[in-house]
Amino acid sequence: MAQVEIRNLGKVYPGKVRAVSGASADIADGEFIVLVGPSGCGKSTILRMIAGLEEVSEGDLFIGGDRVNDLEPGERDIAMVFQNYALYPHMTVRRNMEYGLRNEGLPKDQIAARIAEAARTLRLEEYLDRKPRQLSGGQRQRVAMGRAIVREPKAFLFDEPLSNLDAKLRTQLRAELRALHVRLGATFIYVTHDQVEAMSLADRIIVMNAGQIEQIGAPLELYQKPATRFVAEFIGTPAMNFVEARPVTAGLKIDLPEGASLPGPCAMVDQLAAPAHIGFRPEDLVLEPQDGAAGLRLDLQVMFAEQLGADTVIHARLAGQSDPVTIRVESAQNPAPGATMTAYAPNAALHVFDAATGQRL
Amino acid sequence: MVENRFYLTVLTHAVLITGVFFLCFPVWMALVASTHPASALSSTPIPLWFGDQGWENYSQLLSGGLPEAGGVPVGQMMLNSGLMALGITFGKIAVSVLAAYAIVYFRFPFRMVFFWLIFLTLMLPVEVRILPTYDVITKLGMLNSYQGLIIPLIASATATFLFRQFFMTIPDELVEAARIDRAGPLRFFWDILLPLSRTNIAALFIILFIYGWNQYLWPLIITSDESLYTVVMGIQRMVNSGEQLPVWHYIMGTAVLAMVPPVIVVVAMQKLFVKGLVESEK
Ligand SMILES: Nc1ncnc2c1ncn2[C@@H]1O[C@H](COP(=O)(O)OP(=O)(O)O)[C@@H](O)[C@H]1O
Ligand SMILES: [Mg+2]
Repeated sequence: MAQVEIRNLGKVYPGKVRAVSGASADIADGEFIVLVGPSGCGKSTILRMIAGLEEVSEGDLFIGGDRVNDLEPGERDIAMVFQNYALYPHMTVRRNMEYGLRNEGLPKDQIAARIAEAARTLRLEEYLDRKPRQLSGGQRQRVAMGRAIVREPKAFLFDEPLSNLDAKLRTQLRAELRALHVRLGATFIYVTHDQVEAMSLADRIIVMNAGQIEQIGAPLELYQKPATRFVAEFIGTPAMNFVEARPVTAGLKIDLPEGASLPGPCAMVDQLAAPAHIGFRPEDLVLEPQDGAAGLRLDLQVMFAEQLGADTVIHARLAGQSDPVTIRVESAQNPAPGATMTAYAPNAALHVFDAATGQRL
Repeated sequence: MVENRFYLTVLTHAVLITGVFFLCFPVWMALVASTHPASALSSTPIPLWFGDQGWENYSQLLSGGLPEAGGVPVGQMMLNSGLMALGITFGKIAVSVLAAYAIVYFRFPFRMVFFWLIFLTLMLPVEVRILPTYDVITKLGMLNSYQGLIIPLIASATATFLFRQFFMTIPDELVEAARIDRAGPLRFFWDILLPLSRTNIAALFIILFIYGWNQYLWPLIITSDESLYTVVMGIQRMVNSGEQLPVWHYIMGTAVLAMVPPVIVVVAMQKLFVKGLVESEK
């Protein structure tokens, strides 16, 4: 077990394809860190550089304090779990888990003890003599985790390990992973494109976009104080709503799309000097004005409503912009399409981002 | 519809049975002819059922030398054929699996140049390069030797290409998992790549063994020592044995014997081969 540090990590693939640039992060010993971002943003590339499967083009990589840029994957003392399991198809479950330990030259009795322990933890005892093809997807992924556990590595790396599984199994294995992390107390570095998975698993999340790290923080921190518009939009479902605000005469009058207005004072918006995006979460919108917190008033026309059981998501149109506004309310609400409604975003729920840079203001 | 089906079934079966008949008839004739004395075969009508000379004919073939075949027992010729065929088969598989391993998994200068060079040799079968190859073998002093029979036939673009295609279907993650599990290149090859190639190797074994067993031209020009004659050559020599009448009963007997090892190989390897087709282990 060890901390992992990446410093100004960059990756340029052959053919001058730049996948990652200037990525820095400190991952503490025993931390569960999740790299999240849309497909193609460079998450796997970072993970694979940590694993040693891709050469590091720029920057430095430390595992347990040692610079490991030039070490082979087998020498870095890490274990990895892949999306498609990557089990050795001709070996039994037991042999799959043993393989790395045998190559390390561990004594037979120790190998047996570790396998027994891992099989118990992962409830794989009855399957030890089966071949991978005789197992279900969830079981295969448990074997892959077992293969990682028995190595007792400094860090566990996961590349979208649950993406090939169906929704129910995914939820179940997510809980098992979390429990495993608590039990082992080891450093987990986990890649996913699914922000819900990231939120539910992580101690801290690294949000990536187009090869760069946008923000690093605890799940709630990212939710409550997204550092950029990208993070604000990426974290949370349904996604955050935005309206555009442009100062007409600096600091005096703010131009909002038709249908949106600021009935009272709002320091953040009133002082804008440059165009900005005002964001507010669907769950923060209320249908009655709140005393003392004037906020943003939205006059909307309902497009349709999704009744999800516990709550209802209303999709509505703001006259002055093409992007719809979504509102999450209690399930009793079921407005008819075409109806008009008014919603309010309290001042405290507004997130303001510079339109040019995307940075939080 | 049902009636149509019926006639279609009859028709297709009739076609298939005719085909089987044409395929099997010569084999049947060879089997029958090998059990008759020479005289029975040079007079009409040719017998269509077994004679009573089977035992004598075969024991004569296997042990005693026939003057028509240069006095070499067929057993000796079969041994030569077997050694040559096995040598070629194992050699081809070993060389091509290693070549494919290098081409697929290692980055070395001119990798693709080598691949295309190997690929180009597909266009150069033994017959085309027979003179230069003969020259090389002569200069290496390998005329009249097993090495001379086997080595020039070992290089195989086909098998290399097949293994390459197979290796490329093995997911990269498997290679990466092995690297993380501290398997070096040789371990990976032995522990993972070879076992996964098992069924491909079995299929190639069948094809290559028959290819090796049936070689005719190359053994013919490379051997003058009768003790190195192969069974395919032996048959040819018996047919062209000069003035006398061809010894058809012996020729057919030799042909039947020559069929046995390939049949054994096919039957023995078939299980693995079919298994490979049915269950995909990737
Ligand atoms: N082996 C490679 N060669 C060239 N480009 C690559 C390679 N692997 C990934 N890329 C590119 O690098 C970028 C990041 O890829 P990746 O790290 O796999 O993204 P993801 O966040 O989906 O895991 C993508 O644009 C991808 O096309
Ligand atoms: Mg990926």
